Amino acid sequence: MKLDGEHIFHGPRQAVWELIRDPEALAKALPGTESLTKLSENEYEGTMNVRIGPIAGTFSGKVVVSDEVPPESCTLTAEGKGPQGFARGVGRIQLTDQGDGTTLMKYEGDVTIGGKLASVGQRSLDTVSKSMIRQGLTVLDQVLAARLAAQTEGKKEIEYAKPTQAEFATAVAKDMAEDVFGRATRSHEGRLLLLIVPLVIVLFLLAVVLTQCQG
Amino acid sequence: MTTKYVGQRIKRNEDPRLLTGQALFVDDVQIPGMLHAGFLRSDYAHARIRRIDASKARQRPGVIAVYTAADLGDFWKPGPLLVPAPHSIPGLIFNKRTQVPMAKDKVRHAGEALACVIAESRYIAEDAFADIEVDLEPLEPVTDLEAALEPGAPLLYEELGTNLASYVRQEKGNYAAARAQADVVLKRRIVVDRGAAAALENRGYVFWWDPKTQQMTIWATTQAPIALRNIMAGLLGLSETQVRVIAPFVGGGFGPKIMLAQPEEQVLGWATLRLGRPIKWIEDRQENFLATTQERMQIHDVEMALTREGKILGLQDIFIHDTGAYNSYALTVPLNTQTHTMGPYEIPNFHTEYKVVFTNRILVTPVRGAGRPQGVFVMERMMDLAAKELGLDVTEIRARNMIQPDQFPYHQGIIGQDFTELVYDSGNYPATLRLAKEMIGYDRFVHEEQPRLRAQGKLVGIGIACFTEGTAVGPYEGARVTVESSGKVNVATGVGTQGQGHFTSFAQIVADQVGVKPTDVTITTGDTEKFHWGTGTFASRGATVAGNAINAAAAGVRAKILKLASKVLETPEQELEIVDGVVRVADIPEKSITLGELAVIANPMRGSVEPGTEPGLESTQYFGPKYGATAAGTVAMIVEVDPDTMLVQIKRFVIAHDCGTVLNPLIVDGQIHGGVSMGIGQAFYEKLVWDENGQLLNANLGDYILPRATDMPPIEIGHLCTPSPLNPMGTKGVGEAGAIPTPACFVQAVENALAGLGVEILETPLSPNRLFELVHR
Repeated sequence: MKLDGEHIFHGPRQAVWELIRDPEALAKALPGTESLTKLSENEYEGTMNVRIGPIAGTFSGKVVVSDEVPPESCTLTAEGKGPQGFARGVGRIQLTDQGDGTTLMKYEGDVTIGGKLASVGQRSLDTVSKSMIRQGLTVLDQVLAARLAAQTEGKKEIEYAKPTQAEFATAVAKDMAEDVFGRATRSHEGRLLLLIVPLVIVLFLLAVVLTQCQG
Repeated sequence: MTTKYVGQRIKRNEDPRLLTGQALFVDDVQIPGMLHAGFLRSDYAHARIRRIDASKARQRPGVIAVYTAADLGDFWKPGPLLVPAPHSIPGLIFNKRTQVPMAKDKVRHAGEALACVIAESRYIAEDAFADIEVDLEPLEPVTDLEAALEPGAPLLYEELGTNLASYVRQEKGNYAAARAQADVVLKRRIVVDRGAAAALENRGYVFWWDPKTQQMTIWATTQAPIALRNIMAGLLGLSETQVRVIAPFVGGGFGPKIMLAQPEEQVLGWATLRLGRPIKWIEDRQENFLATTQERMQIHDVEMALTREGKILGLQDIFIHDTGAYNSYALTVPLNTQTHTMGPYEIPNFHTEYKVVFTNRILVTPVRGAGRPQGVFVMERMMDLAAKELGLDVTEIRARNMIQPDQFPYHQGIIGQDFTELVYDSGNYPATLRLAKEMIGYDRFVHEEQPRLRAQGKLVGIGIACFTEGTAVGPYEGARVTVESSGKVNVATGVGTQGQGHFTSFAQIVADQVGVKPTDVTITTGDTEKFHWGTGTFASRGATVAGNAINAAAAGVRAKILKLASKVLETPEQELEIVDGVVRVADIPEKSITLGELAVIANPMRGSVEPGTEPGLESTQYFGPKYGATAAGTVAMIVEVDPDTMLVQIKRFVIAHDCGTVLNPLIVDGQIHGGVSMGIGQAFYEKLVWDENGQLLNANLGDYILPRATDMPPIEIGHLCTPSPLNPMGTKGVGEAGAIPTPACFVQAVENALAGLGVEILETPLSPNRLFELVHR
């Protein structure tokens, strides 16, 4: 599956870059995150619960950030698998300073899925992916806005609560906005969360990290 | 002999049990201490196996054992070739690569078994999958038939150096010369895609090795119980008498259940031998999509050479056939395609050639129709296009090329599915065309109704397609018929039953011979302990091959009855008759004896049986035809296409069919109905969709669409009868008839309905989406 699109962030490129290079910020938008371990500066390992249509299960895998040109571009390679199948994806993100305080993100990616994810989840995949991308971008917009606001208004800590899948659809945006304020505490143990992997991840990363799937 | 029951529309003896849930299916088998198996399957279509670690799974409570290919040790080897390659065809290439018990070193299709978990329940077995660590290195998959043959393509079998599984070329006459003389040469590429057999009941087994009796009992959803017994005994190092295979009621065979020594069978047989406990495995629906064999993908490049009058001078068909990851069933499917392309027509020059390609998909073996629908689709499409090109009516061009009734036996000049020259034994093809035309009111529709409906803006069309069906091939079947002391009759035969109505049609044959009612005849099929010689249920052969064996055995019993009764009643045999279980003197009906009494006399408790005679009223006989009988028919349908949604409604469907002697018209109708529903599925609904990575994207019945009751038109059937000279009853097969011509007819009707929109349909299965694309491209 090919994914590509653009999204305009209302903030300076550096802030957007920091946002998308912050796996915690990204992963918090994903429901079902069970664990996240940072293996190195550019490599993360984690597990998450995913539900796509009738397919539900735990996926584990890795995300690698490479070809990094701060604050312009990077490549994300995600690979995840679980009893319900696997997903592999590569995505390229490009940020452009538009000179008016906004940042244009362009992304393109290619995702391969297999197992039940493909053979049973296929029909729901498109819808779920688009929904996650849309929600993820909304969340990121809010995170960005909140971060920018926090910089001017001072910080406030809020405990981050991992969203349930059910909450995801309705409350993710709120949780994430709150989490913005909690980001300062991101080093707190037990709070790590994060990135995951399967298709959803890639979609989400591409999406979230990137942008909405726009037309 | 009079036929009081054969030929009658008798309701099926087995239906009360089936309809009230009293029939035994494999999943009904419950044995104390029974374990359950689950197979962990590959998510990847093509991958190298780096490591499979099942140690954690073995620790899970309730898990009894976990096996991988490595655990099978020396038992692991590629399975047997189930059908030989037809080496009587000169120049044939056949690279044998048979299915393996579980993937070892390499995975060759998504769904291939990687490990088998045996547990106290299926739930535990499947939960344990999560404990198995599988490390696969994904390889580039082979999914495109043409790209697969390009140099540098990724290979399923590196040691072969090619993905070419087979190459076969046959030539009748001289196509090139015929082409040179032709007024018109048409050339097209025609594609038929994959579908699933989608039987109501998936595959299922109970394997039980009893260490105390040293016997293995296997309940299996197999179409070939005796062959399965023999193969399993051989693989497991047991005597054939130590293995009993029971094929109870089976919810549809449709081809894939003819497969033997499948991965699950091999592993389960091996496992029960080690564990000494019964093990059940029932395939789930997704496994059925990923691990049960499929059919139909072929790409044809066809040329037809004709005179201006529409007489076919020659046909050239060069095609590629997808065999999937293995070719355990050799070349039956593409060979059937090759031998059914000429259909009921006289084709003086025929060049046919195919390449079989290994791809990273589940292997291809016969599915109801078994290669025939592709051949018929190709031929019938070309006929339609030729008619259009020459300005002829589609029925006229067919009539002009048909083999005539006085030309039988008709030698087709190429090697057929039984590896000898394809010969049509008998038939009246023009009669089927005439009857179908008449039944559907062809002329009136074309000249009156269609213009009127089109004037109202309705997209209505008519299709009419002709076909032959090679059926009832050898080698043989057998049967034992016994009259019990109760006067009731028992019959045992080796074929398995998957819904064909054997318990009724066979009973009718016996009832006529032995002089009892069909309901007094009990048929046992598919239990190797009851009858252990035979081949199986496939190629529309049960009623003809097993039926004639039963007829012969019943005739043998009749002879014994009459001989003994003659002695007891002191009346010459020719003066006796058997009526409703009583042998009586025709002229003096009160002078009689029941069959039960005769059976007791034939099996005395004391005294002596004369030397040279056998006890009881029993006979065992066998029947093997010289070659397969060829059935034929013509289907016609009227469709209406919704211009907005491109949904197609079949308004009328008729079939004029000739399967020789009809044993029971109700059962023949049922076979045709079932075949037609599969044909409609292949035409418009049932397409398996794969991505370029070898992932099946609609491996579930939500996304893979089967025709529903509301998609089925009323089916009008006309029976014609040209008895086959190849067997005493004159029967031919009918099991695949409906499936074979229906896609060709459907496509013709839809194309006709869309006439004027410039649509030429050269593929199947279609869908409303696809039709929309074709219309609007």
